[in-house]
Amino acid sequence: MSEATVDLPSGLDQAFGAVAGELGMATASWLFVRAVARCSGDEGVAALADRVGSSFTVLDAVARGWLAGAREPRTGPRPVLEALGKVTRLVVVGVEATFLDSLIARLDASVKIAMVAHSPLAVDWGRLLDNYGGRVERVDLDTFQNWAGKRSALLTFAYGRRTSRTTVLPLWLRASGSDVRSQFHALVAWDVLGTPLELYPRWLVEIDAESFTHVVP
Amino acid sequence: MGAMIQNRTPSGTAAFIDSSRLDARLAGMVPDDQDRAFVVRCIIGEGPAHHRGVNYVLLELLSTVVDALGGADVEALRARGTVPVPMKVSPHLARPGSLMAYPLDLPTAPLERLAPGGSPELSAMAACLTDGPPQHALANAAMMWLIGAALDRLEERGRGPKRPSSRTRSRPPSVGEAADRRRCEVPGGGPPSRPPGAKR
Repeated sequence: MSEATVDLPSGLDQAFGAVAGELGMATASWLFVRAVARCSGDEGVAALADRVGSSFTVLDAVARGWLAGAREPRTGPRPVLEALGKVTRLVVVGVEATFLDSLIARLDASVKIAMVAHSPLAVDWGRLLDNYGGRVERVDLDTFQNWAGKRSALLTFAYGRRTSRTTVLPLWLRASGSDVRSQFHALVAWDVLGTPLELYPRWLVEIDAESFTHVVP
Repeated sequence: MGAMIQNRTPSGTAAFIDSSRLDARLAGMVPDDQDRAFVVRCIIGEGPAHHRGVNYVLLELLSTVVDALGGADVEALRARGTVPVPMKVSPHLARPGSLMAYPLDLPTAPLERLAPGGSPELSAMAACLTDGPPQHALANAAMMWLIGAALDRLEERGRGPKRPSSRTRSRPPSVGEAADRRRCEVPGGGPPSRPPGAKR
């Protein structure tokens, strides 16, 4: 990224961390990139990436995408719905508000949805789940297996893919042990970034994409 | 220091596994495509590589036997009774009143050659076959379908072991009975512990 000359407010990294906890890394990145672009243009976006991108790699990727011409995240849920098939219970591992909103709006009302309430960032889970008006239940790492079954699926968010590797939240590794893998019909990763990360993936972890039953672009 | 025992799985151990082939083999047992994909993954896509390979080899060979005998009459086996293969979640996670089970059942007809239908002994056998990690339990269930089919074909030809004519044709073990006897502890490699109430 080129040297930025735009003066951005201090504390952006702290602000981003707070927002990313409750909205998700990609959703928060789009929010910040748009806001900065509106105020300071592409120069500001480049400065944002320089300032915060090394701590929040997803923000760096979204900013790079913006500078390359991308203006909207790809949130269409159809491939995810196809991957989920006839699922009746869906457990979401991680948060990406924009993408979840899009998915839940299209998911059959009979499908029960839960979210694993666990994050390395500070999250007010009550506030987060209130956004879904009771549609999404809270589960924890020690209770989400209660949702296992032959028509149950685990969904997480992936942040880019490079050949056979993809990047996910460490929470996915905690949740998808060998006991869990064979208790859920589908293990789905939704790539909400669409471009490989270029920086060391802080907050995230690389895993084999083939460990999922579906990686949805 | 003594030589370390090498117990690594050779690379490429599971390279011979053809999941589409197994998927086709199981089509009669699990008609729904998505259910079958789940079962196939559990049998040859999860667990230690050598188990995946073993499961594939044994199921392929058993399928070859069944094919040579004229194919499997899955519906005939199903009509004679099945028990679910339970999903082994920790007890505190079990949903009351709802047995969490895989979409592949275990046929009980083959076991009736060893114990009367509905007997505690048969229930204990079913519990042993459906116990353990899913790559074992589901492979056991799939093999029982194939063994049952092979035995039926042999019987039709008058060459195989006859089904016991005097066996009790009572109902197959219920879900509850099977679930109650899921534990199949074999201390010291001995025979399964006798279920409560079984005759001596």
